[in-house]
Amino acid sequence: MQVLVNGLISGATIALLALAFAVVYLPTRVFHLALAGIYSLAPFLALSLFSAGVPWPICAVLAVAAGAAISLGCEWLNHDRLERKGAGPGLHLVSSLGIFIVIVQVVSMVWGNEVRTLRHGIDAVFSAGGVQLTRAQIIAGGTASGLLVLFYLWLRFSNLGLRFRALADNPVQLALFGYNVRRLRFLAFSLAGLFAAVASLVLAFDLGFDPHGGLQALLLAIVAVIIGGRDSFVGPVIAGFLLGVIRAEVVWYASARWQDAVTYLLLVLFLFLRPHGLLGKKARLEAQA
Amino acid sequence: MNYLLHLLIYLNIYVMLALSLNLVVGYCGLLTLAHAGYFAIGAYTYALATLKLGMGFIPAGLLTVGVAAILSLAVSLPSWRFKGDFFVMISLAVQTLVFSLLHNWFSPNAQPGTWANLTNGPFGLAGISKPVIGSIKFATIGSIAALSTVLALSAGMVIWLFVSSPWGRLLKAMRDDELAARGLGKNTRLAKVQAMAIACAFAALAGAIYSSYVSYIDPSSASLDESILMLCMVLVGGVGNFRGPIVGAFVLLAIPELLRFAHLPDAVAANIRLLAYGGLLVAMAHFRPKGLAGEYRLE
Repeated sequence: MQVLVNGLISGATIALLALAFAVVYLPTRVFHLALAGIYSLAPFLALSLFSAGVPWPICAVLAVAAGAAISLGCEWLNHDRLERKGAGPGLHLVSSLGIFIVIVQVVSMVWGNEVRTLRHGIDAVFSAGGVQLTRAQIIAGGTASGLLVLFYLWLRFSNLGLRFRALADNPVQLALFGYNVRRLRFLAFSLAGLFAAVASLVLAFDLGFDPHGGLQALLLAIVAVIIGGRDSFVGPVIAGFLLGVIRAEVVWYASARWQDAVTYLLLVLFLFLRPHGLLGKKARLEAQA
Repeated sequence: MNYLLHLLIYLNIYVMLALSLNLVVGYCGLLTLAHAGYFAIGAYTYALATLKLGMGFIPAGLLTVGVAAILSLAVSLPSWRFKGDFFVMISLAVQTLVFSLLHNWFSPNAQPGTWANLTNGPFGLAGISKPVIGSIKFATIGSIAALSTVLALSAGMVIWLFVSSPWGRLLKAMRDDELAARGLGKNTRLAKVQAMAIACAFAALAGAIYSSYVSYIDPSSASLDESILMLCMVLVGGVGNFRGPIVGAFVLLAIPELLRFAHLPDAVAANIRLLAYGGLLVAMAHFRPKGLAGEYRLE
């Protein structure tokens, strides 16, 4: 039970990061690797602001805002321009990889390579029904699930959410109906930056952080997106929770060293046996890729 | 002088890696992140063959090539079905599995190289012997430089013969329109398997030279960062022809050496170097999508 709950909580943060990736990937097919850079940057920004004497809620808000702004900048200065030149997905991926490398190197030059923490000492522990949780875990699980619920309510019930789903479904037709696709894409990238920064901050509060953890975390989220299905907003989140639970069980029954191997074996199994993912629409891969 | 010879050895290794990666990226049109894995497989196979089986350079090199060519099926069979982002993820999975195996095949109680402790885990294998062919020992840096130059030149020649043959044109046709190539009765699946086997074998051979030169190998040479660096190399230089990857290898070797003369503080030199690679990738995507000297524009 304890293992399951731990897995669900880390699953919630994976799901949030997977959603951050999916929010860009579904509508635009841009492989937004720069999110890993934002993931690395956000906690360092928050820590620096906090040591400068800014109260912590404002630190968190500023760090998240910076994450959203950088992601928006990626679209405005990079992907939007490449798109107008008619670049394919490979070129988007490569340029995003370049941005990721630049951000991570700047972070490690400015703040150094050490592992840092956002809190000191042993965390308060709460227990209920035979399950023990630390305060940081409750914050992480609560924030991530809260944000996920808010996003789905927005996606389901608001007018803008409807347009967003339409963009993910068929961007060309949405543009033909006269909607401003460019502005919607800006919105998608800012949301992605926001989700990634939040996921990064709650995990950093729980586990500590260093400049080089971003890519591993993002790749895990990308695995969740592919397992979940590439044309559904719900699939990646379910797959995120699934991955969290499976990884926790692997730690419990085998060893933390095999976590990544098991995760990627699962990805390979899914790609071969169910390539459209848990909730995706069935289609031939050759036709899409 | 030793410094120049050292650079020459690294240049040879980079050129072999870039030319082999070009076969996958430039001629099959598939972005792979698993190439460092095959480099490390080569390095480990060579290390174990010389340390445990006492082989010379030529049998150990042949074994390395064979092992890598067989293991290349792990990326070539999925490439029958997957391309684009999916193939990137598959190659990433292969990369992670190779790294996990090299990193975790470890038991503290057994000798390195035995079945229970094949790779000695995070500590790596040390004391790999310098290359020995027959009764000639390549012990000095100059002789290793000569050996690596001969190997890089012959690798270049073999790859040049392959890509300028009808088989090379088949790969290009398959990359541009696989359906049409199959419609003409070409066996594109076999061509992909062959291309990746050749590419992985040469990467492994580069790994063998590397491990015999440095005489130490650890799992970090199979890490994702290394794969990304190799990808930078061919993408900046350009893919799809023979000269692009060589230019890329030169550029990526030249950047850190030029920065060395700029007298940067040691603490940031590595960061500046990677920063330059990242910046080059972005600039390349915007201003010269074919790379400096390439022929194929990445889709």
